[in-house]
Amino acid sequence: MSTQRPRRAVVTGIGVIAPNGLRTDAYWKSVREGLGVLGRITREGCEHLPLKVAGQVEGFDASALIDERFLVQTDRFTHYAMAAAALALDDAGLAHEGGVEDPFSVGVVTAAGSGGGEFGQRELQKLWGQGSKFVGPYQSIAWFYAASTGQISIRHGFKGPCGVVASDEAGGLDALAHAARAVRRGTGAMVAGAAEAPLAPYSMVCQLGYPELSTVDDPDRAYRPFTAKACGFVPAEGGAMLLVEDEARALDRGATVRATVAGHGATFTGASRWKESREGLAQAVRVALDEAGCAPEEIDVVFPDALGVPEADRAEALALADVLGAHATRVPVTAPKTGYGRAYCGASVLDTAAAVLAMEHGLVPPTPHVYDIDCDLDVVMSRARPAELRTALVLSRGLMGSNAALVVRRGGGLAR
Amino acid sequence: MITTGLTFVELAALMKQSAGVTVDPAELEEAPEAPFSGLGVDSLGLLGIVGELENRHGVALPPDAERCKTPAEFVALVNNTLAGV
Repeated sequence: MSTQRPRRAVVTGIGVIAPNGLRTDAYWKSVREGLGVLGRITREGCEHLPLKVAGQVEGFDASALIDERFLVQTDRFTHYAMAAAALALDDAGLAHEGGVEDPFSVGVVTAAGSGGGEFGQRELQKLWGQGSKFVGPYQSIAWFYAASTGQISIRHGFKGPCGVVASDEAGGLDALAHAARAVRRGTGAMVAGAAEAPLAPYSMVCQLGYPELSTVDDPDRAYRPFTAKACGFVPAEGGAMLLVEDEARALDRGATVRATVAGHGATFTGASRWKESREGLAQAVRVALDEAGCAPEEIDVVFPDALGVPEADRAEALALADVLGAHATRVPVTAPKTGYGRAYCGASVLDTAAAVLAMEHGLVPPTPHVYDIDCDLDVVMSRARPAELRTALVLSRGLMGSNAALVVRRGGGLAR
Repeated sequence: MITTGLTFVELAALMKQSAGVTVDPAELEEAPEAPFSGLGVDSLGLLGIVGELENRHGVALPPDAERCKTPAEFVALVNNTLAGV
């Protein structure tokens, strides 16, 4: 107990709600097989909009997973986050709904890119359709970015440090880093991650203004980063939550230490300034490697941002070359999200989940829909590639200019 | 004008609709002093019920209606208001 070692933040649980899988094992199976699940958007009220293709979460039965008391006061993005959090806690072997021994030892941090658009639209329609007295009181909390963090902590009775990261899509990685810092400072465990629900009419109209959005209506051709055919990104809903825990505590309670959150860096280079994102992303990677005490050659696999915009893809490949040198052309690179879309803040947490699973299985999953690479990267295509994976680098950029990098190592550091 | 008062059956339906809380109306009527908090209805949930009743009946309930602690207290306050007491 009285070890002088610095506290290490490790991953002991993973929960996924994604278009290609409603549990972590289903998600990994789809990722490993390179399954493409992008499809026509079928959500009510969305059919006439020029955004046709996305990654939709299908078959998600919120009422089977979450008490109705929470459902009436929350948006779909919080339903996904609560479901993913419960899966992560189950996976980690921590009590579900029954509470933990010391509620002050567990906190929650989520990232959100847009909050509860669907819930908010419904209430605002009541406002201008029927009048202010018809707006329900839960509008005050359901649309808000912080809703998922609050509801997860209430549902499970967690009373440790809680937070919300509103830093653009890269916030997914920032939330994991925030959790790791909280754990290193003394919190026992953090439920951390992000889930989004951007496929509702109001939310979709908001996205139509993004020049980076792909409006190609063929699901097989709509999102193909790093190719000459790149035409933007396809949005998705869903996300992932991880249990980030103090390693000594995890080992004490007999939990499996799956990965170590080793290093993180974050920078800002301005909205849609993709050329400049090269320098920002490179700096984020340098900081992350430095914090992890990791040499560029130690990176065994890269999960890039893979925006699908030629200028942005070029900048990302150059950023990797800037920091990793010749290793950038040799290290396997994979973007499983081309199979199911970019779930905004949830995207990089899903990538981190995929990175942990890839390291555990010794397999670099393929990049669906991508065949002819137009840059100097070894993008894994068609089928998963077996490889000894000890260290993964996950990258993320936001449309508003945030860049982030996360270094994750397989397993933990303490001997049992 | 005939105004029907708030019954426990109606309150139970409103609790379900506005707060997502399922409660047996008979149990509600048998133990009307059991606090809302114990039933899982928080102040925002009760505020939603207040708003729904105000819209249905076209009357304003007292400003502290959502602060009622128990179904008994709430039903009495609503029915007194509807009766013009």
